[in-house]
Amino acid sequence: MAASSFIGELRGSLQEESAHIQKEFEATGDGRAAVARRTQLVESILARLWREIVSPDDAQPLNFAIVATGGFGRGWLFPYSDIDLLFLFGDRDTEQAFKDPVRRFSQELWDLRLRLSPASRTLAECDRYDANNTEFTISLLDCRYLAGDRDLFSRLRDKVIPKVVMRDSKALLHGLAEVTRVRHTKYGMTLYHLEPNLKEVPGGLRDCNVANWLALISAMDKLHDWPDASPLRAPVRKQLQAALEFLMSARCFLHFRYGRDDNTLSWESQDEAAARRIGVQIGDRRDSAEGDALSAADWMRIYFGHARAVQRTVTQLLEEIPEARSALYRQLQSWRSRLTTPDFSVVDGLIFLQQPSGLQNPEVMLRLFHFMAIHGLKLSATTEHRIEQALPALAATPPQGAELWLYLQETLLQPYAADALRAMHSLRLLTLLLPELKLTDSLVVRDFYHRFTVDEHTFLAIESLHRLKQSQSEWDKRYGELLTELEDPELLYLALLLHDTGKGIPGGNHVEASLEVASRAMDRLDVDPKERAEVLFLIANHLELSAALRRDIFDHLTVSAFAEKMGTPERLKMLTLLTYADIKAVNPEALTPWKAENVWQLYIAAENHLNRSADHRVQASANDDKLARLRSLAPVTSSKFKEFLEGFPQRYLLVHTAEEVMRHMQMADALSIDPVQVELKRGRHWYELTLVTKDRPFLFATLTGALAAWGMNIVKANAFSNQAGTVVDTMHFTDRFRTLELNLSEWARFKNSVVGVLLGEADLDKMLRDRQRSEKGAIAKVKVETKIEFDDASSPATTIVQVIAQDRPRLLHRIASCLSDQACNIEIALIDTEGQMAIDTFYLTSAGKKLTAEHCREVKTALSGELRGE
Amino acid sequence: MTKIEAIIQNSKLEAVKSALQEVGVEGMTVLEVRGHGRQKGHTEVYRGREYSVDLIPKTKLEMVLPDALVDKAVSAILAAARTGKIGDGKIFLSRVEEAIRIRNDERGEGAL
Repeated sequence: MAASSFIGELRGSLQEESAHIQKEFEATGDGRAAVARRTQLVESILARLWREIVSPDDAQPLNFAIVATGGFGRGWLFPYSDIDLLFLFGDRDTEQAFKDPVRRFSQELWDLRLRLSPASRTLAECDRYDANNTEFTISLLDCRYLAGDRDLFSRLRDKVIPKVVMRDSKALLHGLAEVTRVRHTKYGMTLYHLEPNLKEVPGGLRDCNVANWLALISAMDKLHDWPDASPLRAPVRKQLQAALEFLMSARCFLHFRYGRDDNTLSWESQDEAAARRIGVQIGDRRDSAEGDALSAADWMRIYFGHARAVQRTVTQLLEEIPEARSALYRQLQSWRSRLTTPDFSVVDGLIFLQQPSGLQNPEVMLRLFHFMAIHGLKLSATTEHRIEQALPALAATPPQGAELWLYLQETLLQPYAADALRAMHSLRLLTLLLPELKLTDSLVVRDFYHRFTVDEHTFLAIESLHRLKQSQSEWDKRYGELLTELEDPELLYLALLLHDTGKGIPGGNHVEASLEVASRAMDRLDVDPKERAEVLFLIANHLELSAALRRDIFDHLTVSAFAEKMGTPERLKMLTLLTYADIKAVNPEALTPWKAENVWQLYIAAENHLNRSADHRVQASANDDKLARLRSLAPVTSSKFKEFLEGFPQRYLLVHTAEEVMRHMQMADALSIDPVQVELKRGRHWYELTLVTKDRPFLFATLTGALAAWGMNIVKANAFSNQAGTVVDTMHFTDRFRTLELNLSEWARFKNSVVGVLLGEADLDKMLRDRQRSEKGAIAKVKVETKIEFDDASSPATTIVQVIAQDRPRLLHRIASCLSDQACNIEIALIDTEGQMAIDTFYLTSAGKKLTAEHCREVKTALSGELRGE
Repeated sequence: MTKIEAIIQNSKLEAVKSALQEVGVEGMTVLEVRGHGRQKGHTEVYRGREYSVDLIPKTKLEMVLPDALVDKAVSAILAAARTGKIGDGKIFLSRVEEAIRIRNDERGEGAL
């Protein structure tokens, strides 16, 4: 037959049959059948070419054979995938002799528009494992005879391949693990992409193969031969099988849709796949009967469900190959093994349960993920299996309320919180504990910037905050410092976990919806009202900072409007961090240094604004929501209410809850009986002492002195006074010598002593001298240079001084005493400590007026002298 | 053909973009830049440390336009980006010799 007419005929039948396969797929959606038929089609073409070009006898000539490898070897030819073909020779001479037929064979295939991936090797070459070409040896694991010398093929399959695998199993596993790791890294180590490439991403088709190869290599290493049945354990095989059916159909669909080997699940193709229910089996979606319309988001959830199963299997199989890890990794893992506890043991970096029945106790379950979050370890396959078994019982009576919140916050605060959350999520534990998160489970929201699904975006945001601590980048470090300064970082993490939940509710504004969902979640967790308000504030405002960035951030009106919306420095800090993490988790390029700088500029401008505008006074008769609410709660008459609130700085109302203000009113009311009212509480991080009394000279200096004399370290403090001269001071301090913690009886003595000092009944100087004698000077770890800055412009009635200094015992007392000695009245004090740095801001007057320039110089000289030298 | 480079306040990007679209400008390049002109930046003190902002974050737009469109585009930018305060930015115009569409080698104004 003339070559051209022969090729013409082949092309004709190829086109006809391909169209047939496509038509059938469109009718049935059966991807597995489509790839099998295409494999047969290509095989029949190869056989005809073989007879035409190489030998009329399929089993001839000697020493030469063609072998299907890779996907073709497995019998999985997708409509437009490459055809992996090995030209196998017994020796070099035969290879040389068949050079031209091989060239022609390949050429004809190309002319038929079949994309050939050819390899040409002698049998001896197949016997060598090349670490730079792991893919070739791996592709042999799927080898299948097509035509030529059968005996040659048998030698390859039955002798050479088992020999290579046995000899080089470690290197082969290592190589396979490495190429897999590189591929996963390329896709950000996550399967939750908005438009995933379903072949290459973690949990994609390629990973199904990796799972098979890993199991096969291990089995061959043991058996010294090919195993008779699938080397995968039955449950794993079943899970992979379901995923495979889905992925095969989806990939066929994409190939037909694009008319090329493109495996990207673009948004448009997701819509179409959902409409056609590609790959969907009955039972894939519990809440809809077959035939119901399936949204693209639901179809993607099914996809992510399968991808998640594949990824888990591959990860576990990779973890099971100790040989595949570097020596350093092993060392680290065995170091980690020392972490074993009564509940859990750690072997090779994997967590096992000490008691198989342990998980019947929900607390052990929660402790397990807390343990994971601390150490960054993975769960072993058996542990995962046991968790899955324990879930139905747990679902009947899930842990909730304060106990769950306690475990959750402890987990959120740990360095590997995001990994623990991901594991909980993938095992469906997270949505069991917080069903609100189901709304964003594997949710694809289409916008131009986001790259990941909503749940993964959330985990990434949490992760990026934890990573700040180790980061080397200048901006990360700067924001990392802010993170260490937070009073309640767990609230920020909870806000991040819930900030986008509203995206799962179609239509409308996601911020509003998130607030509703977050409220429900916090009901479930029984979060305390004050903390709840903080979390809701962060969620409600999570786009505010970005919005402010679109205005002129160097304009003081933009800054003051934004700062006032934040209200307190603590909220400003949390929102700044939330914004930073949120932008960072959108996609790896979203947070440019330019943007990081803009966020920072706005932060410091707003922070400065808050610290310099604390003296805007309350007008108790004004009609705003907060005052109206306070009025309705007030335990005192309306004239007393007015007298108490009139003239307090606005900041007073921002830093105290309504309940606290009410308590202060009661204390103020009792001043006629006892002129010094003191209350002591123990908070989560610090002790809190509240003082209500009438203002007098040296009051703040005396109070700080009394605390210093007891060895207390003041971390934060606010001192405010109203028009009538009633003072409300709140001191947060740590108990350096654990006096209060260890001796309950000391609480009363401490309070009495503070009152005694304030009433002038105790000798403060003597107490301070005694304390000084008993203390050895500690050496500061970080040197903080003293800075004293005056600001006469920000406040109309007071002069603001900010003192930055090395934190040390009695520092605040010395500063306050020095200011009082200099005839300054402390109208407001805002005291903060960040690590070793004390940042104290005082609003001063002298004889009821601002300080003169001359007076400022004198005060500065006196303060510098006081703080110089130790 | 003329190339317009406009350095504007970040806050004005959206306004300038829509003003340009209104007069018929179809394509542009937007860059995140830093710099200063006669407005030298300023210094913020944060916790006793000075953060001097001598290079201020700005937004730069670049576009190459057929000559007939240039005046309209410049007026649109001026109207949308002006606040009257220091730091509003600058517009630079320069002649462009040739434009070539890579896809089909089309040249001249047709390639814009």
